[in-house]
Amino acid sequence: MERNTSVINAAELSGLGRASERSRLWRRMGRHYQLYLLLLPCIVFFIIFSYIPMAGLVLAFKDYQFNKGIFGSPWIGLTYFEMFFQDPQSIQLIRNTLIISAMKVFLALPFPIILALMFNEVRNSRLRNLFQGIAYLPHFFSWVIVVGMLQRILAPDTGLVNQVISWLGGDGSTFFLMEESAFYPTMFWSYIWKDVGWSSIIYYAAIVGINPALYEAAKMDGANKWRQIWHITLPGIRPTIIVLFILSLGNILSAGFDQIYLLKTPGNMNVSEILDTYIIYMGLESGQFGFGTAIGMMQGVIGLILVLTVNQVAKKWFQSSLW
Amino acid sequence: MTLNRTHLWSKLTALTIVFSILLTACGGSSEPNAAKEAGTEKEAAAGKPSTWIADRKIKGLIFMGSDVTEGMNPDIAKKLKEMTGIELELQAVGHDGSKKALAAGLAAGDLPDFIGYYLNHSGRPEMELVNKAAREDMFHDLAPFLKDTNIYKKYTEDDYLPLDTKYGVLFRPEFNGSAYTIHLNIPREGGYEVRKYVPGPYIRKDIADSLGVDPRSITTSEQLYELAKKIKDGNFKDKNGKDIYPIGPTVWGGIDRDVLYNDLVWTGFNGEGFKRDGNGVILHESQTEYGLKRAEFVQKLIREKLMHPEYYSMEENRAKEGVLNDSFAIIGDVHNYVIENKDNRYIPLGPLNSVDGSYQMNLTYKGGYGAWSIPKTTNNPEDIVKLADFLASREGKLLWKYGLEGRDYDLDAKGNPVPKQEVLDLLDKDPVKAKELGFAGVGNDWGWYLGGTDLNDLADFGEASYGEAAKPDVNKGPLEIAQYWRYDEKKQQANIKDGYAALAFIGEFGKGTQLNMALDKYKESLIRAYYAKDLNEAKAILDSAAAQLKTAGLDDYIKLLKKKDQDPKTKLLF
Repeated sequence: MERNTSVINAAELSGLGRASERSRLWRRMGRHYQLYLLLLPCIVFFIIFSYIPMAGLVLAFKDYQFNKGIFGSPWIGLTYFEMFFQDPQSIQLIRNTLIISAMKVFLALPFPIILALMFNEVRNSRLRNLFQGIAYLPHFFSWVIVVGMLQRILAPDTGLVNQVISWLGGDGSTFFLMEESAFYPTMFWSYIWKDVGWSSIIYYAAIVGINPALYEAAKMDGANKWRQIWHITLPGIRPTIIVLFILSLGNILSAGFDQIYLLKTPGNMNVSEILDTYIIYMGLESGQFGFGTAIGMMQGVIGLILVLTVNQVAKKWFQSSLW
Repeated sequence: MTLNRTHLWSKLTALTIVFSILLTACGGSSEPNAAKEAGTEKEAAAGKPSTWIADRKIKGLIFMGSDVTEGMNPDIAKKLKEMTGIELELQAVGHDGSKKALAAGLAAGDLPDFIGYYLNHSGRPEMELVNKAAREDMFHDLAPFLKDTNIYKKYTEDDYLPLDTKYGVLFRPEFNGSAYTIHLNIPREGGYEVRKYVPGPYIRKDIADSLGVDPRSITTSEQLYELAKKIKDGNFKDKNGKDIYPIGPTVWGGIDRDVLYNDLVWTGFNGEGFKRDGNGVILHESQTEYGLKRAEFVQKLIREKLMHPEYYSMEENRAKEGVLNDSFAIIGDVHNYVIENKDNRYIPLGPLNSVDGSYQMNLTYKGGYGAWSIPKTTNNPEDIVKLADFLASREGKLLWKYGLEGRDYDLDAKGNPVPKQEVLDLLDKDPVKAKELGFAGVGNDWGWYLGGTDLNDLADFGEASYGEAAKPDVNKGPLEIAQYWRYDEKKQQANIKDGYAALAFIGEFGKGTQLNMALDKYKESLIRAYYAKDLNEAKAILDSAAAQLKTAGLDDYIKLLKKKDQDPKTKLLF
């Protein structure tokens, strides 16, 4: 009897504890309601444009019929996935996508960090603002403009690069955009040029957030600039680097449609045909929405698995993670 | 107290629901209303012109992007309303890809009273999308309505429609006599051509004169190569004093067109790459050596700097600028009606022979171009069919092709329209302003999307194209070129055929999408082969593309083509 009472008491206590926790949460939310109101549009945005459309993923398992709509169309199981893997191109598509993504995720990672460190070392704030402005600007150009510029710069005979080659005594008629070997450098460096400034913003903000007392202490201990960067700045922004890296892994099977689509030519199609361009051709242009959705879903699921795995690894090894 | 209030609210809510249901039930179905409206229409039609259809607004969604002019001239819209009771509103979509837009539009299902789309033959990819929608009961069957029309009823007569339009587009056997897609642009008589088009490569006349070459004597790719070498050695300059390229791209930009090396292309009747060999066996170009022969030829041209390196990729605006500046001695492909060559600086070269021997003009018996359908959600679809029939009649065409009598044209003694001089002058001076007058003669084709068929302007209006009678020199330049090229002579000896395009059956082929993709890949591979380091690399590229086509079912598709060709209703064009 006594034992039973103690059990009831524990349950009651636990229930009461949860209730009081809930009421504390509501009170806290009430105290900061302005902040929650500011958050509300974001939550509504994601619900409307990210979560509700996820219901459409069922299309990946359905034979979409115009008159029956997404939910009324008949189920066809994993047919689209089988179709994709039976396509002789699928391996090449996945390989190309992974190579381009890996270049953007791994090789491109140090560039914005280095740029942020450089911004941090510019003492004159006006000069720093000017450099930052110049570095951010390309982010606001669409890929159509950037690739248009590249076409002119890399054009055979008349392009800037070929003019320089001719001036140096070379042939000057190389059609770089038709060369398979020129595709990766063109893709990578144009990506860096366009996005390095914008990506450096978060790193720079993280650097600014590091306690200045740490630098002063290091200086007093005789640490030079490189030592300060190595022992204070980089460890200080490590959580930011890890979080951004994990987030970027979510898009590992999406190599950036606009840029690749525009840079794709018959000459480089062996390395530039990626899953996104394939989805556009098969899914949208051929009206096979279910097939397109299945490939898109596969990209998303693999991205999600990678994010979850790497997040756990980062939590264990670096004590930094998304959650 | 609280409980009482809850009860009260529950009762009020229940009463409201019951009342709403009662009201809905009293409303009845919409059909009797429609019938009632139709009855009212009939009463209202009394005292109206014979062309009267119904007092309603008709909205059309046209998947042809920038080819569509959305707005109607208010006076012409008013006239149409007076004549038919219809207020027509067109909306254009598909500026970044008509097929993509059509697929998305059909999937969204939210379609207006009618839709219009590109469809030159049943092999065009749009056809399969429309067929899928028809199979899934998205469109009205228009066959019963066609019988009650004046012009469109010709579509149900024997020998009026070309084979592909009749059995591939309109009355597909799978639909058992129903018609969901109405093909447009059907000429009244077979082999009817409004304009004397002279397509192909053109050469700068001053260069041909300077070299003492008759461009018409160039009939093989080898002769073209020798000519290009002579041009290069001649050090000719453009309008800015800069060196020129012997061979530049087409006036429309970087496109791989057969006409530049026609004797090296297994092109087929209409350029799809399927053709019969000497024994009558159907082969695709990938199964022949012509791809490699062409790669060898183009590699030679590029290597010796006889061809512009961006021949296959140049943007249209740069190509046009090049033509206007005379920067290319030879334009890869152009025709005699383009405004960039209004002064005939460039004259036609060739035409080059084909792989079968000397050049012969190929014409289809009749060909369609666009098409329209009426979604199942549209009430009284017969109104739209009647409007289409009116627009296809002489009276309707007079309105959308010539505008308003008194304002835009006068009638001559024979009853044919004579455009007013001020309209023709405005068209010359300011085509954009002239277009605001809102009829096809000045560039607004609003009536074509439903009524552009049963074509024979010469019989209907006394002239083959707008303004020719009033201003005989309106096509002076193009006709001079046609005469120089001996168009009439070539047309007399033309090969006029009726039948199906090679890709007309791709929709019913199991691996159709994969084969389509592999065919596109083959075309891209050809360009890759042109730019390959040497012939060995080109061969490897083309072999790989050919293997991909084989995997995608090319052999089975050719078997299907043979089978189709045995049926007189589905015989091939080639």
